[in-house]
Amino acid sequence: MYTFGIDIGSTSSKAAILRDGKDLIAHAVVPLGTGTVGPSQVRAAVFEQSGLSQKQIDYTVVTGYGRMKCDYADEQISELSCHAKGIHYLLPGIHTIIDIGGQDAKALKISDTGMLLAFQMNDKCAAGTGRFLDVMSRVLNVQIGELGPISEKSTHPVSISNTCTVFAESEVISQLSNDVPLADIVAGIHDSVAKRVAGMAMRIGCVPDVAMSGGVALNIGVVHSMEREMGCPVQVHPLCQCAGAIGAAVLAWGKYIKGAIKANE
Amino acid sequence: MADLHTNLSLLETACMNPRAQLDNYLKQGKKVVGCFPAYTPEELVYASGMIPMGLWGGHTELKLAKSYLPAFACPIMQSDLEFGLQGAYEGLSAVIIPTLCDTLRCMTQNWRFGVPSIPMIPIVYPQNRKSPASVEYLISEYEHVLVMLSTITGQMMTEKALCDAIDVYNAHNAAMREFADLANDHLDVITPKVRHAVMKSAFFFAKDEHTAIVQELIDGLKQLPAYKFTGKKVILTGITGEPDEMLEIFAENNIAVVGDDLAQEMRQYRTDTPEKGGGGLRRLALQWNLRHGCSLIHEDGKPRGVMLVRLCGENDASGVVNCLMKFCDPEEYDQPYFESDLRAAGYPTLTIEVDTQNTSYEQIRTRVQAFCEML
Amino acid sequence: MSDTITTESSAAPAAKPKRPKAKSMIMIGEQTQALFENARLAKERGEKVGWSASIFPQEIAETLGLVVLYPENHSAGIAARHQADPFLQECEGSLGYSNDLCAYAKVNLTYSSVLAGQSEVELPDGGKMVRPDFLLLTNNICNQLTKWYENLAKQLNIPIFFIDTCYNPYDYVTETRVRYVRAQIDQLIKDLCEFTGKTWDDEKFQKIMKISQRNSYLWEHANNLMDRKPSPLSGFELFNYMSCMVCNRGKESTTALLEQLNAEIEQHIAEGTSTYPVEEQFRVSWDGIACWPYLRHNLHTLKEYGINMVASSYGKAWAIEYEDLDGMARAYCFASTNGDNASTMISRRLEALKRFGCEGTIYHVNRSCKVMDCQMMEVQRQLSALAGVPFMSFDGDQADYRNYSEAQFETRIQGLVEVMKQNKEAKANG
Repeated sequence: MYTFGIDIGSTSSKAAILRDGKDLIAHAVVPLGTGTVGPSQVRAAVFEQSGLSQKQIDYTVVTGYGRMKCDYADEQISELSCHAKGIHYLLPGIHTIIDIGGQDAKALKISDTGMLLAFQMNDKCAAGTGRFLDVMSRVLNVQIGELGPISEKSTHPVSISNTCTVFAESEVISQLSNDVPLADIVAGIHDSVAKRVAGMAMRIGCVPDVAMSGGVALNIGVVHSMEREMGCPVQVHPLCQCAGAIGAAVLAWGKYIKGAIKANE
Repeated sequence: MADLHTNLSLLETACMNPRAQLDNYLKQGKKVVGCFPAYTPEELVYASGMIPMGLWGGHTELKLAKSYLPAFACPIMQSDLEFGLQGAYEGLSAVIIPTLCDTLRCMTQNWRFGVPSIPMIPIVYPQNRKSPASVEYLISEYEHVLVMLSTITGQMMTEKALCDAIDVYNAHNAAMREFADLANDHLDVITPKVRHAVMKSAFFFAKDEHTAIVQELIDGLKQLPAYKFTGKKVILTGITGEPDEMLEIFAENNIAVVGDDLAQEMRQYRTDTPEKGGGGLRRLALQWNLRHGCSLIHEDGKPRGVMLVRLCGENDASGVVNCLMKFCDPEEYDQPYFESDLRAAGYPTLTIEVDTQNTSYEQIRTRVQAFCEML
Repeated sequence: MSDTITTESSAAPAAKPKRPKAKSMIMIGEQTQALFENARLAKERGEKVGWSASIFPQEIAETLGLVVLYPENHSAGIAARHQADPFLQECEGSLGYSNDLCAYAKVNLTYSSVLAGQSEVELPDGGKMVRPDFLLLTNNICNQLTKWYENLAKQLNIPIFFIDTCYNPYDYVTETRVRYVRAQIDQLIKDLCEFTGKTWDDEKFQKIMKISQRNSYLWEHANNLMDRKPSPLSGFELFNYMSCMVCNRGKESTTALLEQLNAEIEQHIAEGTSTYPVEEQFRVSWDGIACWPYLRHNLHTLKEYGINMVASSYGKAWAIEYEDLDGMARAYCFASTNGDNASTMISRRLEALKRFGCEGTIYHVNRSCKVMDCQMMEVQRQLSALAGVPFMSFDGDQADYRNYSEAQFETRIQGLVEVMKQNKEAKANG
């Protein structure tokens, strides 16, 4: 029995197909989000990988920013619940998930079975999100992907104190013009993001084990900063970007089973 | 049935266009006095033969207000000031501003200089209600309000008129409480949006008129069979639970509002003026001492959490939505305490930032949906 | 606050000899140490110790012989020594508070949570801000204090002794307010005596009143000496002495140190010297409390242009004159500039601008302080027009170091200087 989960985000689309709710037989990421060809591209990709078509899918769940406009889905579920389930699938034993995306940051507390217990979101302010890193990487004239490796060379991270991204940018420029080593500045930027997000996570309480997901989780520097801020190890699964889609597929299976039981009554 | 929906429509229209209500009263030759949130002695205005009308802000582009208020003043004050400066409140004879929080304190001065065409009447409620002297003090504040009202408008009040006004307001409170109770048996008709309209519209009508309408609503509802609501039930807490877009998202997720602790709604109606205790002014002052569980009124022991737990139990709610007015520091101080009390009692809380200047609701939609999935 | 809140707290790489510490500064350091030491000893003796709002009638605690500490002042010290970060993180994190709140409160609520055993943040001062047994509260300064103390009372399970001083929308304090405040004072004294086991001694009260009045006079006198041209002090230094007026206003040790301070200033005047390190080019008024986390940067930037702060709204903050409890009731309603209406605020500031010959105003938009910021734009506009003096504002915070931009401050000061320079030249040319 096959279930299909698709996560239509604002800047990327992810999809996953599960067999019998446990075997991940296909997954894909396309860096184009809602309103573009991204969703249809990622859908085509997983069908090709698995050799399946929509007809063979028993239940489809859509999630993410663009979840309201998906006509082939059986149900739409919030990205928070889907993410929780997805990380639980990838890393059983996780109870706290920190998701830092391009536009927002979330902290999720989940149960032993991957059910969402509590959540905290920052969806208004650029500080503590990928956007902050975007701005800084431009100022520093480095690629986003280079930030992590650069920061690992830092010996004395600077303190970027401002929570306002605009002011923080000016702080970074000032550090640059004072010939502070690039690695120390980048490490300082990572610490700033980690601090902001850790504070948010502490509001729901940090229960081990802790995992990070979202685009920013691929930045090893931020991950290490988070570990220092939270005072505990932070795991990152290589497929974490697909957590939402995977979780959607897991939840889809649950819904399908429930529906099948009901039908038999 | 037609009556029920006609009345609901009437109340919803008033909320969407309070200016029309104001113009209506002005056309009738009545004087109208604007009342800032959250508590003002409306009875004094009413007893002086005028109509008190609530000024709870609204969605508007902020331009002129920026010369008076920094970005971190709450949206209600920002929009009230903007409306005042733009002339949207023209026709009001005066405004009454209670200094219940730091921003409201400043508003008395901003209005005084910014909108001199509408005279400002300040009232400073006592916060040390344990002191018996606070009653005398509040009476003197009421008298000051009366002097200013009569000087500005020429309208005066008699003791009898005040006692009648108190009766009218108490009757209104009773009707609103009855409505709130009854609404829970008719959640198909009284959706979150509709419930809010009934509550908020009280600020745009003369209280006795509003009572009459609400009484008809109650009679109409009683004729309907009780509705078995199968979705999730929540209590709202905070200053205001709006706008409609947020309430529609609740409905979308099959969430019903079965009670509230909102400054704009039940906090107005849950405390009556005592029938005994002295003359009208004294009784009105004693009512202040009876108010309970509001962030704007000093109280020992952080009792709001216990109150909310009780509200959940009484109304069969499974959680609380904290409609946290942006930049509202009194509410922000209460938040960790009542969240903790609710958590201990097994009631999850969702916090939604309330901002009348907001234009996008996607994030709220996600949060509400996730919360619903959690309940 | 056992250290001075000046630039001297940071490491100085310069080789030039440092000015020896003024005796008055040593005295205030000793006084602060003594206050915390007394609190510790009082706790050891099993006596009740309180925390108080900064403009609570200290005469009451002083007369009763109670040791009282001041959270606002304490938080300012933590912020000035750059120790606020873990407190802010904990407050906005595990304690679940909004970032929007006053940073003095944020720091203190975390500190109190540590004392209550509910948070684990290292206390950089080792816990010398001892756990209180009662709270003394007035709201003349602001409403946030009331909520802050409500939370402290609940957290620490202690009583609040509250005097509601009521905001003054008029240009004078109404008799109705005086009666209400007086009644509260009378009851509070009774309740506090019952709670602490102390007794009220009217003779002692008379003595404390006299000392407090003397200290108010000396404080105002010292501030007023700044009207000399050039000013005998670097104005920011007066912020260092505020703790004696906040925490020890009714004590003889304050009389001694203020007399010493006045003597030092008079000596500077006599000798034509000043503690202001460069030539005084521009005289300005500083509106708002100090931006404690960035005093060093503020001073450095101002020094670059020869700007000296010669006036502030704190000079007259404790100009509290009265002869009896009724007078005290009235005085405390009027004491905090925050409890005044705009016209009073304007007239007080106008007086200062004229008296001290100020050429500009620097207004600190203190993110922690809505009670000031939400009416200051209009006040500054009117003031500027009345006094003919330009003003400039900058974003900062009294304790939250994350709300400040060095670049913004520098740019705006430069702008102010340009206007002041223009005005000076225009005046010179008639």
